[in-house]
Amino acid sequence: MDAKKIMVCDDDQGVLDVIEMMLDSSGYTAFTEINSTNLISEIKKNEPDLILLDLWMPVLSGDQVVRAIRADQNISHLPVIILSASRDGDDIAMEAGADAFLSKPFDMDELIDTIEDLLKNKKGSMSV
Amino acid sequence: MNTSQTNFHEFLGGQGDRNLDLYIQALNSANSGIIITDNKQPDNPIVYCNRAFETITGYSRNEIIGHNCRFLQAQDRAQPERKLLSDCIEQGLDCKVEMRNYKKNGDLFWNELYLSPVKNSKGEITHFIGVQNDVTARKKAEHDLIEEKASVEQKIQERTKELRENQVFLSSIIQTVRESLLVLDPDFTVLSANGHFLKTFKVSAEETVGKVLYELGNHQWDIDLLKELLVKILPTNNPVIDFEVEHNFPHIGKKLMLLNAYRIEHDGQYKDRILLAIEDITDRREIERRKDDFLSIASHELKTPLTTIKGLVQLLQRMQDGGITEKYKATLTKVSVYVDRLNNLISELLDTSRIQSGNIELHIEPFDIDHLVKDTVDNIALTVPGYEISVSGKSGAIISGDESQISQVVNNLVSNAIKYSPGSKKIEIHIARISNFVKVSIRDFGMGISAQDKPRIFERFYRAGDIQKKFPGMGIGLYISHEIIANHDGTLWVESEVGEGSTFSFTLPISKK
Repeated sequence: MDAKKIMVCDDDQGVLDVIEMMLDSSGYTAFTEINSTNLISEIKKNEPDLILLDLWMPVLSGDQVVRAIRADQNISHLPVIILSASRDGDDIAMEAGADAFLSKPFDMDELIDTIEDLLKNKKGSMSV
Repeated sequence: MNTSQTNFHEFLGGQGDRNLDLYIQALNSANSGIIITDNKQPDNPIVYCNRAFETITGYSRNEIIGHNCRFLQAQDRAQPERKLLSDCIEQGLDCKVEMRNYKKNGDLFWNELYLSPVKNSKGEITHFIGVQNDVTARKKAEHDLIEEKASVEQKIQERTKELRENQVFLSSIIQTVRESLLVLDPDFTVLSANGHFLKTFKVSAEETVGKVLYELGNHQWDIDLLKELLVKILPTNNPVIDFEVEHNFPHIGKKLMLLNAYRIEHDGQYKDRILLAIEDITDRREIERRKDDFLSIASHELKTPLTTIKGLVQLLQRMQDGGITEKYKATLTKVSVYVDRLNNLISELLDTSRIQSGNIELHIEPFDIDHLVKDTVDNIALTVPGYEISVSGKSGAIISGDESQISQVVNNLVSNAIKYSPGSKKIEIHIARISNFVKVSIRDFGMGISAQDKPRIFERFYRAGDIQKKFPGMGIGLYISHEIIANHDGTLWVESEVGEGSTFSFTLPISKK
């Protein structure tokens, strides 16, 4: 089975690096983007199985990206997890249409479990 | 015949008759001193005196007869009444004078003297009759009265001066305070406005004093909330404190004001004055908001590198195959614990700031309190294996509130119970429904709280003395919990005995369905 592809976008290089390392060590293939401006086209190009987004990013915020994903038929089915250190991030993320929210700093097990759950469920729902 | 009668008989040249005796007796019975002088003889000598005259003056008759009346003045001759007396004698007129006279023993007495001439058929003045009364007591009373009056007047002047000084003092306080003050009459007409009011609302005294409050500045004070305060609330709730009103003023813009209103009461009676103190908290609120924003951004920024650190530590912990020693692993575990603690401190900082400024938002939604408590406790239990944490009872109630905040409270209380009972592994949580409240109690069997610490543990940054050393933290967990429960109209309290453990309980009102 091919490694699942995960698109990660965060405006902080350190966070981006550590998430990439976590995904690598858990058997996922990570594509990282530090700039959200062209994220939608990057998603289309790389065809990830799941998207991890930071909430507060310059130009295009995480919730705006989720709305754009949900509005695009080609990619609207993709599971999205939003990560944020912001206290009110949960509400904003869920309202925008994210599938899950994790507050920073997050636990690695929690991240991997959430990804696994979402991939399993999406697959399940798609096969129905 | 007594001496006075003899005296009179002799004065009349012995030509007495029976009726005359009666007259003489009448004269001697009088309280007033009576004398007769002979105007035809040189120096107007006294030729008759009655008994009362002897009593008043202390002189006896034989010391009196033949003398001029002035002997009673002793050396005290400089009396203006003497001139009046001598004028009347010269002109043969009636007169009344009050003079200082002296008794035989030298004592001063005030003599009220009536002098009346006696004329013969030719109109010549033959005698003078003098009637004398000792009016010393009356004079003294008059004198005292004058002195009293003068002293009262002086006192009044002093008091008036004091009052005026006080008034100046009070009005300078009113003018100096950095808070707007208005005095209104019962119809809400402005009786006075202090300098700060005029300055803050950019108006002059002329356009303010004497005007009805609501009509001030083109009705810019016609504020519904203000009317409600003055008309509805104040009459039954005197005084009203910290009544918040926001209003957009045409020239000075939006103002957030805290109003204190007071109907002046004296000896239990309302006087016709209303004091209105207006504190402009627009800037303060704005500063609080900026402080919260700043802390919000700061905590977000601090947590970003913390996310990387935490992630890297977790990755290191998983690198088993590199031959990691147990010591190395234990060290990493410690790093991880301190990263989490730093993260909690950053969160608490933001929470405290928001709670203090009242800017914490409540996301009110109905939730199942029993589930929330069980879920929260289960999550904690996973992180502390070996602890015996039990949940008993149930409320079956739905609470209207901020689920995540209530969860934070339960989390705080259970974490505290674990933290402060190092010698015990047992925690008991009980949920109950009491009247229209849910009561949640968290009981530990740890060190307990001393009587002196108990009243203060819900204070911000308060940490019990010996706890400070053994357990790290900022001491705001209980403060935040207390505020959260209060924001939900509940109460949080503690019962504790040193060495036996503590029970923290909170109540929350059950939503009306």
